[in-house]
Amino acid sequence: MHVEHEMGNAKDIALKVRLNQPKPTVTLHAVFNPAKTDVQRKPEDWIQFDLACDLPKQLNTIEARCINGRLKSTRVDFPFDLEINRLFNPNQLDLNATLSLKDGSFSDEAGLHAAEKLTGTFTVGLKREALGWQWQAALDWKAGEVYWQPFYIEHGGHAVTASGTLKDDMLHVHHAHLKINRVGELDADGLLRLSDAKLLDLNATLPKLNLSAAYPLLFKPLLGNTAFNNATIEGDAALSLKIKDTKLQSFTLKLNHVDIVDINNKFAFYQLNANIPWSYEASNPVQLSYEHGSLLNLPLGKTEINAEVNRYSLTAPNIRLPLLDGALSLSDISAARIRDEWYWHLAARLEPISMSDFTTQLKLPRMLGKASAEIPLVTYSRGILTTDGSVVLHVFNGTATVTHLTMLTPLGIAPKLNADIALRNLDLGELTRTFSFGAIEGKLDGDIKALELQNWKPVTFDAVVQSSPGKYPKKISQRAVENISALGGGGAAAAVQRSFLRFFEQFNYGKMGLSCRLRNDICEMGGVESTAHGYIIVKGSGIPAITVMGYNQTVGWSELLARVKRVTDGNTKAVVE
Amino acid sequence: MKKILFSVLLLGAMFASQMVVAAADLEVNTPAITAIKGSMQSRHAQLAPHYASGAVGLTKDGMVAVRDANAVPLKDRAALNGTVAAENADRAKLYKEIATANGHPEWQAEIQSTFASRWIDKAQGGWWVQGAGGWTQK
Repeated sequence: MHVEHEMGNAKDIALKVRLNQPKPTVTLHAVFNPAKTDVQRKPEDWIQFDLACDLPKQLNTIEARCINGRLKSTRVDFPFDLEINRLFNPNQLDLNATLSLKDGSFSDEAGLHAAEKLTGTFTVGLKREALGWQWQAALDWKAGEVYWQPFYIEHGGHAVTASGTLKDDMLHVHHAHLKINRVGELDADGLLRLSDAKLLDLNATLPKLNLSAAYPLLFKPLLGNTAFNNATIEGDAALSLKIKDTKLQSFTLKLNHVDIVDINNKFAFYQLNANIPWSYEASNPVQLSYEHGSLLNLPLGKTEINAEVNRYSLTAPNIRLPLLDGALSLSDISAARIRDEWYWHLAARLEPISMSDFTTQLKLPRMLGKASAEIPLVTYSRGILTTDGSVVLHVFNGTATVTHLTMLTPLGIAPKLNADIALRNLDLGELTRTFSFGAIEGKLDGDIKALELQNWKPVTFDAVVQSSPGKYPKKISQRAVENISALGGGGAAAAVQRSFLRFFEQFNYGKMGLSCRLRNDICEMGGVESTAHGYIIVKGSGIPAITVMGYNQTVGWSELLARVKRVTDGNTKAVVE
Repeated sequence: MKKILFSVLLLGAMFASQMVVAAADLEVNTPAITAIKGSMQSRHAQLAPHYASGAVGLTKDGMVAVRDANAVPLKDRAALNGTVAAENADRAKLYKEIATANGHPEWQAEIQSTFASRWIDKAQGGWWVQGAGGWTQK
C-alpha cells in the first residue's frame, strides 16, 4: 500500500489485527517519509516504524502492552516498549503510559546533536479536567551518552519528575524536580507558553551544586574561549532564581569554600566565598572573599570585597587586594555591563611592593627597591585597559615612571601593551650588578617613548638612555667597556687590549648614552654624539679616560638581544693582562 | 612531520601572492603573529586527523568548521568543537594582526579572503573544502 499526503508519504503499510487468539494482538509496520521541510532531504530518509501490541480483552478500558516497537531511519534508531495502562475513564481521556527506550541512538546531519546507547523510561499521565488538562511526567535517564552542542553528558543517572496543568498553550508546572547525577538537585515551578516555547515564569532553587562535577558538564562548554575555560574547580554553590514575565527578576548565588585554579597558572583563587544577591528592582550588597590566590604568577593575599550591585552596574568605594608584601588598593570602582560588554573604571594605588619579590616571582633578574604607583583613573572598555596618570616604580635608587599605559587582552593569547617610560637617576652601580654587566658608577636617565609590547615582547619604541645631569662620580670598569663595545659590535675592546689602557681596571668618563629606535625588528642606534664614522657611546674625561665608539647604525633587534644575553650570561671576569 | 606539514601549508598560504592584496606583506612578523602562529601550529596536530576524516573542513571565508562530526566519538565532540572555536579565534586574530602589522587594519577582510583561497588551494587530497556550491572533497 502506498499513501501520499501533504504531510508526507507512507508505503509498505501492514496492519494486522488478530482478535481470534486467546490474546488479541495488533501489529503495525509502516515506512513513511515526512513532508520535505528542507530541500536537502535525501530520498533514502524513509523512516521505518514497527509496533506490536497485546490488546485488552475488554474494549472499554484500554490497556495495552506493545513490545519491540522500533523507529528507525539513517540517523535514528529507537527500539522501544510502550505500556498504556489507562486510556479512557468512562467518558474522558485519562491516559497513563510508559515509554521505555532500550539502547536508542540518534544524530543530526552534522553530528552536533546526538545520543548513543540511550536507555531510559518516560512516563506520562494526562487527564481531562473541566478547565483543561492535568498532567504528570517522569523521565528516568538510566544510561547512555548524549552530545547536545555544546554539552556532553557521559552517563545516565539523571531524572526529572514534574506535574502541572495545561490550558490552551499555557503549560503550568506546579512542581518539577530535576536530579543531575553527582551535580545537584533542582526544584522549580513555572509557566511555559508552548506556542513559542517561551518560559514566562520560573522559580528555581538549587541548594547544593557540586562545582567540580558541574564545571566540565555545564560551565566549561559555555565558557568557550574565555580565560576561565581551562580551570579546575572544587567546592559548592547554591543558586536560586526568579523569572517573571520572561524577565529575570532576582537571583542569589552563593559560593562556599571554592578553589578555582587555571590549568595554565594564569590565575588561582583558594577558599573563595561569595554571597551575590541580585534583583532587578533593588540594589543589593554583594560579598566576595578569598584566602589567597595568584594572578599571572603574582601571589595574592587574603582579600574581602564588598560592593553594591544595582541592576547591571556595580559600585564599590574601596577594594584592597594584598599583593606580595604590599597591596593594590582600588577605589571609586564602577562597572557596568552594557550590550554584553563590560565597561569599568576605578582609581588605583599600588602600596609599595618589594621589587626583589616581584622580579623573583616573574623570573626576572632580581632587582632591589620598591615599586609603588598612583593611577587616578583606570578605564576598561571593549577589552582595552587604559590608564590616566602614572605608575611610578622606585627602582635602582631612581624612578621609572610609566605613563599612557594601555593594555589589550592581558589574559589572551597575544596581549598587547603600549606605554611611555621615563627613567630618572637610576643607580648604574646597582643596575650593572643586577644584570652582571661589569661595573659602572654613575646615574642614568632614559626615555622610552611609544613602547609597544606584543605578547610581552617589544616591537616598537624610541629609546634614549644617557647619563643623568649633575655632578657625581663617573667610572667605568674595563669589563663594562668590553661589554658595551660588544653591544655596539665595535672593536673598542681590542683597542683597549692593544694599548697601555689595559693596565687600568677602571676609567673616568664624561657622559655615556645609547639610543635605539626600534621598527620592524631593526634598531637604529645612536650615542651621545655623532661622528663621521659612527657615534660615541662613552665619552672619556680626565685621566685615565676612555671613549667607546659604536659603528653599527642599524642592528637587528633579535641580534642585539642575543648580544645582551651573551654579555650578561658570559659571567666570566674580564681578563686584564 | 605534522609540524613540518603545517609550516609548509602556512608558508604556502602566505607566500603565494594575490593581486587583491599585492601590497600587503603576508609574511610580516611580529611577536603577536609569532604567538598566534605558534598556537595554531601546536593545534594542527589535533586538527589534521579531522581534516582527513572529513569531520572538519576548510570554509570559504578562511576559517574551519565542523562538517560532519559523526565519525568522532560523542565524548570527543565537545573537545572538537572547542578546538575548532579556538582555531577560528586564532585565525581571526591572525588576519587582524597581519593587517595591523601592514599598517592597514582596513585590509583585514581582503587578507582573510586571500588566505581563504590559499588554505583551500594548499589543502591535501581527501580534505573537505567549502566552495560557492557547498562542501566538496579535494
